[in-house]
Amino acid sequence: MVMGRVSLLLSFCMLLHTVALANTYHVRSGNVETLQTVIDRAQPGDTLLIYHGVYEGNLHLNKRITLTGIQMPLIQGDGSGSVITISADSCTVSGFRIDRSGSRLVEENAGILIKSNSNVIKENELTDILFGVYLFHAENNFVQGNRITGRRQLEFGERGSGIHIWNSQRNRFLDNVIADVRDGFYIQNAHHTWIENNESFNTRYGLHYMYADSNTFLSNRFYDNVAGAAIMYSRGIRMRHNVFSHNRGFSSFGILFQDCHGLVADSNVIADNVVGMFFEASTNNMFRHNIVAQNDIALQMFQNSTNNTFTENNFIANLNPLAIVGKRTESRWSVDGRGNYWSSYEGYDLDGNGIGDIPMKIQNVFQYLEGQNANVRVYLYSPASQALAVAAKAFPIININEEADVRPLMRPFELTALPAVRAMKINSRNTSASSGNRHAWVAFPVVSLAVLGILYRKLSRRAT
Amino acid sequence: MDYKAIYYIARQELVINIRNKWTIIFAVVFGTLVTAISYFGMMTEGFSGMQNFTRTSASLLNLVLYIVPLVALTMGTLSFTGDKGSTELLFSQPLHRSEVVLGKLIGVFFSIALSTLIGFTLAGSIVIAANGIDGFTRYASFVMLSLALSLVFLSIAVLTSALSQRKAKAFGFALFLWFFFVLFYDLLALGGTLLLKGKAANTFLFLSLFGNPVDMVRVATLIILDNVTIFGAAGAAMLRFLGGQTASLLLLVGGLFAWTTIPLLLSNILMRRQDI
Repeated sequence: MVMGRVSLLLSFCMLLHTVALANTYHVRSGNVETLQTVIDRAQPGDTLLIYHGVYEGNLHLNKRITLTGIQMPLIQGDGSGSVITISADSCTVSGFRIDRSGSRLVEENAGILIKSNSNVIKENELTDILFGVYLFHAENNFVQGNRITGRRQLEFGERGSGIHIWNSQRNRFLDNVIADVRDGFYIQNAHHTWIENNESFNTRYGLHYMYADSNTFLSNRFYDNVAGAAIMYSRGIRMRHNVFSHNRGFSSFGILFQDCHGLVADSNVIADNVVGMFFEASTNNMFRHNIVAQNDIALQMFQNSTNNTFTENNFIANLNPLAIVGKRTESRWSVDGRGNYWSSYEGYDLDGNGIGDIPMKIQNVFQYLEGQNANVRVYLYSPASQALAVAAKAFPIININEEADVRPLMRPFELTALPAVRAMKINSRNTSASSGNRHAWVAFPVVSLAVLGILYRKLSRRAT
Repeated sequence: MDYKAIYYIARQELVINIRNKWTIIFAVVFGTLVTAISYFGMMTEGFSGMQNFTRTSASLLNLVLYIVPLVALTMGTLSFTGDKGSTELLFSQPLHRSEVVLGKLIGVFFSIALSTLIGFTLAGSIVIAANGIDGFTRYASFVMLSLALSLVFLSIAVLTSALSQRKAKAFGFALFLWFFFVLFYDLLALGGTLLLKGKAANTFLFLSLFGNPVDMVRVATLIILDNVTIFGAAGAAMLRFLGGQTASLLLLVGGLFAWTTIPLLLSNILMRRQDI
């Protein structure tokens, strides 16, 4: 009992001692000594204020230390290894420009390599790096507000990830912007990760995911990637308010689910992708309140993806709402009498309860044929493909439809808060297509019509 | 080849077509439909950017696939089995029959082109106003392909006229061909894939496109509009089969060229032997 009290007192004194002795160093560029020698001289708990300028050489933080950049000083790496390596717990790196990492993928050459716990990485700008921030067996770290830009000149396969999380638990990532890397986020064996309000574009996979359970994604935006997100071999993931849009290519998709179980996705936007969501061997997932719009194929499912639930989602203006590889999927298309809204639904609602009175058959004949032989799709937009759908409706001889939403909603489910979408409208470079000279184009029809009119008059006059 | 005579005949044909109001009726109908489609397509513009352009143009394409062959076949048959007296007068001129046919063909083509271009211009300006200039070249290529489609069906009309000579018969034949190419052929092709298995089905699918000018225009337009991603994996398979994007476009355009020239050559042979 006495011993315990003494040791408590002792540790309290030690705490006071360290607080009292924590020094603050002011570092300016042009000093004789390098930044690393200042770090080496500092005591654990010290703070280094680093002023604007260029600081060459890789840094190694091997004691608890705070590096604060003032007016974005540049830390320029050797061009080999990682620019900043953190091997002590509870370090802080904030407000730096960081560039020139090494270029060896196998040696995880990163802008910032973290091998310890409880560090804070804030508001840095990383350029010309192989990996951006690499978490190597590191826990409870907090990475916020960094801009990571990879090496655009390299092929996707030669680049590293923006944020690479390997064998690291309980880390948090907020407000980071990632571009021109291989995968925006690469997450492997990392449970209880929290990812919020990040943005990832011009990458191969916006999000690449392996063997990582119980993660949370909120309000992230993945667009203009070869594929939005690939979520594989993971359980218990929660996704809310994310946007997966404009991921286009031959075998591109908004989100791919492979061996993914027990995921809950609500209020996400999956729009303008070649395939909105792709399912293989993924079961017991729950989708509600999502917007799946303007994809060429909204959902593509392998037969082995069973018992997935879709309720109160809005499927709007997709060329093909569902492509099944195989016979049927045993998906549940409604819960408690509430199905989904399908913009292609042509039923009616006589009792006015907001639920369509006849089932929504999700696939038409052409889409069924497409499931049998994918190459039938070259007849997309042909009059015959539409005629087939109409004919099958008028003469329902061919009974192909196993998949039906028996409680389709008559009106889209109203989603209230979608902050990520609002941010998207401002940020997306897709919508800003040369709005400047829009007005000039009014002249185009006027002039052409005038020319055609003159031509017409001239011709009819000459004939008389 | 007497180019001057061809030019005069073409101009005469154009003037006749404008005078008999066919061109104007077609222009008004086509213009209204096309403008409506592009307007409502663009009204629903969301945050997803260029996909609206593709979707709207694809709807326009759908209309073109129905209407342009029909109009080309009707106007072509009307013109080539037209008024007996004027036809006799034309063919009695000291000109080759091929020159007369070519002149008339060019005349009808220009009257169709004139009337479609009005609609395309209106629709195009709506599309561009909503999306910016980025899609202009792709839209222009789409217009060119539509014109090519009308030329193909004009030359098919020339052939049907040469085959049947009588107006009613030629009309019936033309309508049957329209139905066949726009609807029936594709149904046959889709049915055929169900009978075949595996690789044979794929080869059949891709080759079947070349048997129908409507399909060739459709596929070529979609390739231009959306870089073939709209076909998904099927698009990748098709490009591999045809040897890349440029190669497949060239093949499709070459196919359209063949579909124009071969009926014309055939009708030339027929007409040379005919008593008009």
